[in-house]
Amino acid sequence: MFRLEGSKTLAVDLAGDAVKAKNGSMVAYEGQMSFKKMTGGGEGLRGMVTRRLTGESMAVMQVTGQGTCYFADRASEINLVTLHGDKLYVEASNLLCTDAGLRTGTTFTGLRGGATGNGLFTTTVEGTGQAAIMSDGTAVVLRVSAQYPLFVDPGAYIAHQGDLQQHLQSGVNFRTLIGEGSGESFQIRFEGEGLVYVQPSERNTIGGNV
Amino acid sequence: MPFREINSKMVEATVVPGQKMFSQRGAMLAYRGEVAFTPNIQGGQGGMMSMIGRRMANEATPLMTVEGNGTVMFGHGGHHIHVINLSGDTLYVEADRLLAFDGTLQQGTMFMGSQGGVMGMVRGQVTGQGLFTTTLTGHGAVAVMAHGGVIELPIAPGRDVHVDPQAYVAHHGQVRNKLSTALGWREMVGRGSGEGFQLELSGSGAVYVQASEEKL
Repeated sequence: MFRLEGSKTLAVDLAGDAVKAKNGSMVAYEGQMSFKKMTGGGEGLRGMVTRRLTGESMAVMQVTGQGTCYFADRASEINLVTLHGDKLYVEASNLLCTDAGLRTGTTFTGLRGGATGNGLFTTTVEGTGQAAIMSDGTAVVLRVSAQYPLFVDPGAYIAHQGDLQQHLQSGVNFRTLIGEGSGESFQIRFEGEGLVYVQPSERNTIGGNV
Repeated sequence: MPFREINSKMVEATVVPGQKMFSQRGAMLAYRGEVAFTPNIQGGQGGMMSMIGRRMANEATPLMTVEGNGTVMFGHGGHHIHVINLSGDTLYVEADRLLAFDGTLQQGTMFMGSQGGVMGMVRGQVTGQGLFTTTLTGHGAVAVMAHGGVIELPIAPGRDVHVDPQAYVAHHGQVRNKLSTALGWREMVGRGSGEGFQLELSGSGAVYVQASEEKL
């Protein structure tokens, strides 16, 4: 029921069911809709406290109604992800909309978070249904398999799904220390089986500055 | 004079002798042939009175007249451009979103209060559009700017469309608009969903919505 209207607008057809979307991201709707803010990302009190503590707070609203609702946010490109019981890891700021049936939570990402500028925690989405994630520019989906690990610039990483282990690796050497670094001193290495979403743009990260 | 879309951010217009065309001042990127650009102090058509009207209404964007024989390319600020063809009906658009339009179109200024009375005026204030808006009537093409892509949503009787005021670009046809509020106790305690105000458009026509909630 999620479809793209161009590459930057998401259209969701609703027939009495609900979706969770980023607060304030509705641009237009047809039919009857109601919008309700879900305090603490809609995971109850425990989720709210976790999100406050981890800095992965996201303002989410629940949209219910009959008709078609259109979402967009700051002209970002939108990518649709279909989940079949697996887990999607995405930054809270890159998550636009999910089926109400999908569970969201927070997870610890380890050292990677510090270098990506995303913080030490990330948001997980799991269950069966669809989700829409945002990227600055059209995202590419890269497959990772056991023989082929993937290295990603922390600033260009937006999301991943599947059974993946991630490690932060650094290529810091004497050139970096004398200020002659290539700007590619840190990478995230993904190993296992799964998909990684990469955007053609880099956020400002600590890793990108050395 | 039809506009030809070169890519999503540039349009090309053909100028022939005897036909004028208006564009936002400074929006020309390149041209071929003999084309003259004259700044239009009056900010459009209609002579002195219209100019005073526009100044007072704060809908006076600097426009220039484009005349001659050749082709002109327009673009501005990297914004997406959407070409709307009018066939006799009226387009309502903010003056600062206008990139270029045919000289055959009749330009006017409309007071928001004339559509919906006091609520119309409130609407203008809430949406940041001010108390006035620009209208273009007739047969011809208009190039409007928007942040991000534009989608066109048809409006038909019994099929009302609600639009976030910040994402609204323009509308045409026989459309009535009013501001609807969905303010509840949640908004009062600062827990709003961010969708407290919506523009409700009903009638028959179309509305153009941009994929962003930023003004130009």
